[in-house]
Formats: sequence, structure tokens, C-alpha cells
Amino acid sequence: MSEQEYEENIEGFRKIISGFPGEKRYIIPIMHELSRCYRYLPRAALELTAEYVGVPFSQVYSMATFYRAFSLQPRGRFNIKVCDGTTCHIKGSNILLDEIHKNLGIGPGETTADREFSLETVNCIGACAIAPALLVNERVYPRVNAAALKEIIKEYRGGGDNDHHE
Amino acid sequence: MELIIDGKTCKANPGDSILNVAKREGIAIPTLCYHEAFGGQGSCRLCTVEVTAGGRSRLVASCTYPVSEGIEVKTSTPAVEKIRRNIIMMLYKRASGSVLMQKLYREYGCSENSLGEKEEERCIVCRLCVLACEKMGTSAISTVMRGIDKRVGTPYDQAATACIGCAACAHICPTGAIEVLDSGNTRTIWNKNFNLINCERCGQPFATREQIDHVSRLSGIEDAELCFCEECRRKKLVGKMQGFSPC
Amino acid sequence: MNKSLIHLLLVCCGTGCVANGAREVYQALKDNLTSDDKAVLAATTSARATGCHGLCAQGPFVRILPEDITYCRVKAADIPEIVEKTLKQGEVVKRLLFRDRQKKTLVQGQNDIPFYQRQTRVALRNVGLIDPSSLQDYLERGGYRALEKSLLDMRPEQVIEEIIKSGLRGRGGGGFPTGLKWKACAATPAQPRYIICNGDEGDPGAFMDESIMEGDPHSVLEGMIIAAYAVGASNGFIYVRDEYAQSVASLRKAIEEAENHGFLGENILGSALSFNIEIVRGGGAFVCGEETALIASIEGNVGEPRDKYVFPSEKGLWGQPTIINNVETWANIPVIMERGASWFTSLGTEGSKGTKVFSLVGKVANTGLVEVPMGTTLREIIFDIGGGVPKGRSFKAVQTGGPSGGCIPSEMLDLKVDFDSLSQAGSMMGSGGLIVMDDRTCMVEVARYYLSFLAGESCGKCVPCREGIKCLLEILTRICHGQGEIGDIALLEDIAETMQQASLCALGRTASNPVLSTLRYFREEYLEHIEGQRCPAGICRELSEFWIDPIICTGCGLCLPRCPVEGIKGEKKQAHWIESDKCIRCGECIDSCSFQAIKVK
Repeated sequence: MSEQEYEENIEGFRKIISGFPGEKRYIIPIMHELSRCYRYLPRAALELTAEYVGVPFSQVYSMATFYRAFSLQPRGRFNIKVCDGTTCHIKGSNILLDEIHKNLGIGPGETTADREFSLETVNCIGACAIAPALLVNERVYPRVNAAALKEIIKEYRGGGDNDHHE
Repeated sequence: MELIIDGKTCKANPGDSILNVAKREGIAIPTLCYHEAFGGQGSCRLCTVEVTAGGRSRLVASCTYPVSEGIEVKTSTPAVEKIRRNIIMMLYKRASGSVLMQKLYREYGCSENSLGEKEEERCIVCRLCVLACEKMGTSAISTVMRGIDKRVGTPYDQAATACIGCAACAHICPTGAIEVLDSGNTRTIWNKNFNLINCERCGQPFATREQIDHVSRLSGIEDAELCFCEECRRKKLVGKMQGFSPC
Repeated sequence: MNKSLIHLLLVCCGTGCVANGAREVYQALKDNLTSDDKAVLAATTSARATGCHGLCAQGPFVRILPEDITYCRVKAADIPEIVEKTLKQGEVVKRLLFRDRQKKTLVQGQNDIPFYQRQTRVALRNVGLIDPSSLQDYLERGGYRALEKSLLDMRPEQVIEEIIKSGLRGRGGGGFPTGLKWKACAATPAQPRYIICNGDEGDPGAFMDESIMEGDPHSVLEGMIIAAYAVGASNGFIYVRDEYAQSVASLRKAIEEAENHGFLGENILGSALSFNIEIVRGGGAFVCGEETALIASIEGNVGEPRDKYVFPSEKGLWGQPTIINNVETWANIPVIMERGASWFTSLGTEGSKGTKVFSLVGKVANTGLVEVPMGTTLREIIFDIGGGVPKGRSFKAVQTGGPSGGCIPSEMLDLKVDFDSLSQAGSMMGSGGLIVMDDRTCMVEVARYYLSFLAGESCGKCVPCREGIKCLLEILTRICHGQGEIGDIALLEDIAETMQQASLCALGRTASNPVLSTLRYFREEYLEHIEGQRCPAGICRELSEFWIDPIICTGCGLCLPRCPVEGIKGEKKQAHWIESDKCIRCGECIDSCSFQAIKVK
């Protein structure tokens, strides 16, 4: 789906949003569901959410920018999350970020022009014994070094293995 | 109930904050993020005081600390003054473009900015603008992001549908951080352009159409009666009053 | 164990092992057992996917009972051999056993592995032994007996008394006496009341709560139901960190099972208690581990804390009396109620009763989860259980308490770990993360790292925290890049003091701990950076240079291929050298050299 199509998918948004009670405390659950379906939070969906639960749009926007789980920009088909928890950090997560930049040309918070890859740093994912760790979509890769990283990127670049997608 | 502030016995009601009581008693405690319309936020911490309760002393924000029977408050101690000085010093680093911050910087004796490069901004993220906009019933602005990047803005930093251009936010801002560009009959604020309508009496541009409509909707007062600028409205009222004879 | 079963195989499926292929191991096992020629075997063997076994550095694990053989580093391809040799022929596959590097022996039984020998598993009593998705497993291990006892044989006040007597203190970091929290809640007249489980384990390096939520979810539910009875609540929430998808799934299943069997819902166990638990997923905000921020988040707001002049037990969720406790705290409740407060007080120290689960990570051989009685020394945890610092490097510090904690140096290794001893040392217990650092860790950079973490995680509401962190970070970054100035240390300490005294919440109040504790114990390292323009650990790039000692170097060439920038040159059997301008200070060469010939200038 193109960005414009996403933004115009009002019916789709409505369907998701109305699956929840129209109360303020469901804003985060609604955002999680929207993120799961669209890989980001489309503006129109946020406007509908505000209307539905009865809070000002600025407040919903405030929450969307406060909570790191959500993105206002479409994420890549393959979302790389490099763990920057303390253990991974002292075991060289910075080196991984440099390597990704070298290979894909993106830094944390950025997406490649072809929308295939996006990169974020995340806080500890609780896999400290296998540091440094990273995730591609929901799959965890243990003890990644520069060489292993090159292989991982190659794996996803080569036609895109579709069962890795969520 | 009773409590002691700086040696003075003060009366208080349940639910009062230390700051409420101090203000009533005319005891000065400095604040930045406080406004009586909204109550205490506990954000700037400039109002920090020392409280002794149950034999234990601690430093608390007087704008949010609820009073209780018999507590003793000191509004100024060396520790408190140091905290206030550092708060001003750190805010000045961020908002050195603000006249208020410059003034406070000198007042608190922050003789040289040892915090390195300062920024020319003016916003201190006190959130008074957000609260004012909420009070207006528009809520066009909110805080965005978190941590050291926290700031105030409209959604997507674009013209907000909810913004009526009333400039209540700019009015309440202590540091002059909100830009309102009034030129002839146009106003630009928060990236949105408005037409200013003219006062029926003096002909000067004074408010936006959206603002008039909004107030009319909320108050039930007819549009026509609202189309007067503040000064003219006052003069009209005086004019009306002149018709009354004292009894 | 079911009597007709001869073998029970436990396969660790905690997040760490799953990343290492544990699910493939489990599937291979199941496939192998159900293949045609194994019908008899299948009928008498049960394979169970469990939660974290604890010794994460050696996973994936297959543990075979009743023989108690633990196979480590298992791959799916090893399964046919395990089934053939061990299950069918009763032989041990030696190459998969645990290798005790100190004694140079192979160890078969888990209880003979030093890592496990010295542990006392209370909160982790079931983790690694049960299939978390099986209520049956939990019941067989004595689950929900505590609930029965509390609900049917005791009055609510008696339950609260028991928790007070046990001396249990919050395991999330605050260390507040749990029983007193419950008592304060029960004493506040307002209704309704709420029970919350804080599963927002955000400290980097900590995964204790993750392992409990994944591996023994019912222990958390049972604890909460007991509290619901004790204070009279009908609704509970488990707030789980967004990053913990497996925990959410595990808890969801457990809640479903508990509801189906009358442990949750209306008239629990036939009593008057009705209680429901809802799972709330976090939005990716470390600050939501703070009680009042968590509450704000559940209410549908940004996670901004509130001044805690009135506690949540009086005014919490939606202004109502609320009990909010950490996952590990909840997991302790059933076992305290069943075995009694006096049993619990027999473990631990005067001020800190019971045990604590630690995640022992970083530069330590046996990384994983460790549970020991309070009062165990750091030395015992790091060296006896943890196996010490690997690769021949030396211990430098252990960081405890996450971003709110501090670093403890080698002079203090005999410190008996409990809430008060760690606070006195300038650190804190926190949630239980223990990050071991060696001489290749720069303490100034560690302080900078934590501040940069907090810069993005602070809610940003109050000035001392938001602006204080920004100032500290700026100063530390300058120091790490060789632009430190005389007066920087005094400035750091001055700002830190204001943050400690004036911040709105505990995040801000403790944000300067990493700086203060490293200044306390590693001041010379700061001075080296500022005045000496040198990083002794070889981490800060502008201040370090690596060189190969030509006297020690044998020219073996092991380091050459490891260098990611091809910066090492040299002929075989002749001293090699590093091209400084290419060097990115990654340290791969230092790690690869068996002669320790590569050094920091």
C-alpha cells in the first residue's frame, strides 16, 4: 500500500478502532493494533481515534510521540532493532550501528529510500546472555558481530524471505 | 488546621497546598510554572521549600504538597536557594533569549554561565500555554516527545484545526516564547493564518472570527455583542452604568 | 511426574534460548519422538517447553529427568543422538555436558553445576521446571494451595499481617515493605480498590521479571488474587513492557486457564471474592516503571509521574486506593503464604528478608539468572556462581540497580548484597541487574551511556531532571571526546545534587547516581580523561590508541583476520603492528590475542 492509500483507508481504520471501547484508556491499545496492521500510525487513524475516545487530537498526538513503541513514519518491510541495553552496549552495539550505516546508509530512526529497511535502537530486550543482540521484525539474532551482520542483511536483501515478515 | 510558614502561624483548609496558604498570607515563594487558574503543576520546582513533618525534614514542591496539621515550612534555606539558583541557571542555558530568564539569571546571582554554550530559545516548557488552550476549550497545542527533546507544538507542527488564534497561549507565556504576527488584518500564530475582524466601535482589528464564534458558542452570547475590543467593551459598559443613579 | 512416564525432557524456551534456536530444538524433539519407530518411547516420554533455566550463556538446554542430565548448547541436529543414546540406551552424550572450566571436569546433573549449587530458588521455584502454558504443571508443583489457604482459612487482616511479618520488601527497586503498602490500602475507606502488577522491567540488563512472567505466570496471578482478597479488590492489571511479547502471550494463556478453573472470575474457589485481571501493554517508555507514571499510562495519558506526597495505596489508579507491586514481589507472595512468614525470615539479612533474583550479565562467564538469599556477597555471586571474568581479563566494577544505580569496585566485592548495603555503597538494589565490567570498560563512558539512556527516557516534565540530564550528558560527552575542562567534576557534582534534591520523581532523583558513583570510586579515571587526555580502558576513541607490544607478539597472525578494517599488518612469525588511522578501537584484536600482546597505550 502506498502512503496515500494508507492515509485514505478510513474504513479500515474505523473497523480497527471501533473494536475497542470508546474510552481514553484504550488509546494505547488502539495504537498498538494500528501499528500492527499498518506498521506505523497514519494521521487519519489518529484523528479518528481522538474523535472516537473523545479527547483532543493534540492529546492523542502527544501520546503518539511520547511512546517509543509507535512511529509516525512508515517503517521498513524489515525493521531492524539493535539492542542498546547496557550489556549489548559494552559488547559493541555501536559497532553494529556503524556497520548498518555502512551497508544500508541509514541511522537510527531512518528508513531506506526503497522502504525495505528501517533501523531503531531499542532498550534492553532481555536477551543479555546473547549480547550483542538485534531483532529483524520479531526475530532475535544472538551474538551479532560485523561479519554476521553482513550475512543477516544479505539474507533479507536477497528477495526477502517472506516468512520472516512478522 | 494550622501550620507554620517561616515562623508565622497560618490557617489552612484540607486540600490546600503550601503555596496556596503562602499566597493567602502574603509570603512570597518564587514560581515559574504556576498560575492560579490551573493550580500547581510541580514542573519547574522553583517553589521548592523545606518541610518538617513528624520530625522528618524534606525538600518538596510547595505548589503540590498538601498541607497537614502542625507542619513547619521554611521557604528559604541555603539548600533551597542553591536549588533555585541551579534551576534558573539551567533554564537560562536553554532560554537565554527570554527577558524574564535574563532578569532571573541576574537576580539569582548566576554570575557567569559555566554551563557552556547557551541556546537562544525562549521556551522553558512550563506548559502554561497548553493549560490555557485547554481552559479555552480548544486544546490545539500539547507537549510533544519526551525527555530532553520535550517541547510544545501543534500536531505535526502544522496549522491546527482546533486553533482559533485567540493568542491566550502567548498572553500567558512568561518568557515570550510564542510568536504572534499581527499585521493589519492578519494574524499568524502556530503556523496558522487568520483574519482579524474589526471592532464595531473603534474599527481596530482585535480578534479572529474563529475566536468570536467559539466564545459565542460556549457562552451563548450573540456574536454581535462580542464584536468589540476590550477597551471599547469597557467604555460601552461605563456608558451603560452612567445611566444608573446611586441609591 | 506421571507414573507411567519414564522420561521428562525439559527444553528451555526463554527468550534468550529461543534466539539461539531453542524452539527448533523443541520441535526436533517432538518430531523425533512421534516418528513411527518410536511409539513406545513416545508413550513414556514427555517433552516440555519451559521458561528460562537460568544459565543463559550455555543454552539451549535439554534437561532429562529423572536421571537429571543437563545437555548444554544443544542444536536441533543433536536431537537424534540424544534420543538414540540417552533415552534408548541410557548413555550420556559427553560433548553436550556442562564443562566446569575451573575443575576441568564434565558435569552431568544440574545440582552439581556450581552455578546452580549455590542458588536458592524461591521466586524462580517453578521456572525451568514447568510448562508455563500448563495449569496442571503449576498445580502439581503446589500451585494455588496458598490461595486456598488464604481465602478459605484466613481472614483478610491475617493475610496482611503475615506479609508484614515476612518482612518482604518490594523487588522492583523501591524496596518498600510490601505488607505496609497493603495495610495502607486496606485502611483507606474509598472503593473500588485496584491491584496492579508492574511488569515494566526497563533496566537494561535485567530480565528477571521477564523470566517469571514467561516461565511461571500463575505465580504472579496467585499473588495478585491473594492481595485482592486481603484488601478487597475486584479488578487487577498487569502492565507488561511493550518489548516483552512472549510474556504477554504467556500471561494471557495463564489468565484464560485460571478463569476456566475458577481461580479468577466470580466466586473464586466458592468464596465471596470476585476478581478479574486485565493485561495492559506498555508503549515503550522506561519511565512507566515508576508507579505513578504507570498509573497515568493505564489511565490513557502520557507516562508522566506525579508527586508522591500521597501514595498510590491511598490515591492511585483513577484516584482510588491501589496496590502496585513488582512481578518478583508477586511471585513471592504464594510461597510466603504457604510456608509462612517465619520460614521466609529465616532467609536473608536483618533488613532484607528472603531471596533476590539477579540477572548476572556483562563480562562474566556464566551469564544468566541467579537467585540467592539476601546477604550473599558480590564475590560469591560473580566469581563462585558466575565463574568470574572471562578471557583472562580483570574485574573492574559491577553495576547494580540499572540507570538509577551505581558501580561498585573490586575493593567492595565482599559486600553482602541487600537493600541497605547497596544504598550505603552509593548504588542501589534496583530490580536486580548485575552488570559485570572488566578493564576494557571505561567508567566515564558508562556514566555517559546511562545519561544518554535517561535523556530519552525521562518524561521531561520537571526542570531538575530534564535540564539536569541534558547538562550532565553534555559535560560527560565532552570529557569522553577529550574536551574535558578543569571544573567539570565540580559542575557535575553541583548539578547532580540539585537533581537528587529537587526532582519530581525517583527517575530524576537517581539519574545522577551513575555519575556520582563512578566519581566516588573511579575519580582518577575522570582525571585521566580530563587532564591526562587518555582513556585507560581504550574505549574513548580520541583518547585511546592500541598498540601491539613487539616484545610479546609472536606473529601468530590470529588477530589479522579479526580486524574489521584490515588495520593490522605483519609477516608470519614476526611482530605485527596496528595502523592507527584505520583503527576503530573495536577491541576484536585484543579479544583474540592469547598472549595479551595488544594493549592500550
